[in-house]
Amino acid sequence: MIGNDVVDIEQARLESDWRRRGFLEKLFTYSEREAITLHPEPETMVWLFWSMKEAVYKIWNRQTLKASYIPHLLECRIDTFDKNSVTGCVEYKKAIFYTQTMIKGNIIKSLAADDLLELAHIKEIAPDIIYKDSDGLPYIYDSGSKIPVSVSHHGRITQVVRL
Amino acid sequence: MMNKEQLIGKLKIIVKPYTNNPEAYENMDEGTGFIDDLRINSANLVDIILDIEETFDITIDNDDMERMLDVKAAIEIIEAKLAGK
Repeated sequence: MIGNDVVDIEQARLESDWRRRGFLEKLFTYSEREAITLHPEPETMVWLFWSMKEAVYKIWNRQTLKASYIPHLLECRIDTFDKNSVTGCVEYKKAIFYTQTMIKGNIIKSLAADDLLELAHIKEIAPDIIYKDSDGLPYIYDSGSKIPVSVSHHGRITQVVRL
Repeated sequence: MMNKEQLIGKLKIIVKPYTNNPEAYENMDEGTGFIDDLRINSANLVDIILDIEETFDITIDNDDMERMLDVKAAIEIIEAKLAGK
């Protein structure tokens, strides 16, 4: 199963004040907060972790059909951090989800999968006609077959992905 | 002690700046969902939680935060915290 999330940092600046008292404490774990404050670009780290959590939340939501506000329970770990590309994983209740993030200018795009092989096979597709099933989960039709997709929109960016 | 209508009224003032669906906002009641109906960005849900803490002078713990997805849950949580003060 896959998920995605995009953050347009320029939009985030209009919508959120991550320096607000309590903001980081409510959303991020102790080690994430430490990584954020120690980093030369804390704002990038805030939205990097946030997009990883959101991409994984979409998988969890699809798996369980439950809704819950659990960013603080999704623990991010970064494995590699090149200039524009970050790989990592997110742990939730002993389950591991893998993530890959691209950071370009003020745009952050995270992909997530519960299987490493699937992560490598996620494709971005044009945001054409997207349907929603009775649980509100998005899908498309490809040559007559129903294919689940993950959709994320923020600010200037919309991204639709599938396997 | 505030009654439910007064609580919803206060909550309505809190959620207004984060709301992206004016129609659902106008009709906001106990059945309204913050994300599904008011189209509030999930990163702003924490602002609502922090605003509630400041407005009512209460602390919302993680268990409560997890279910803070709609007006009904928010009202229940605020009422319980105010009663325990």
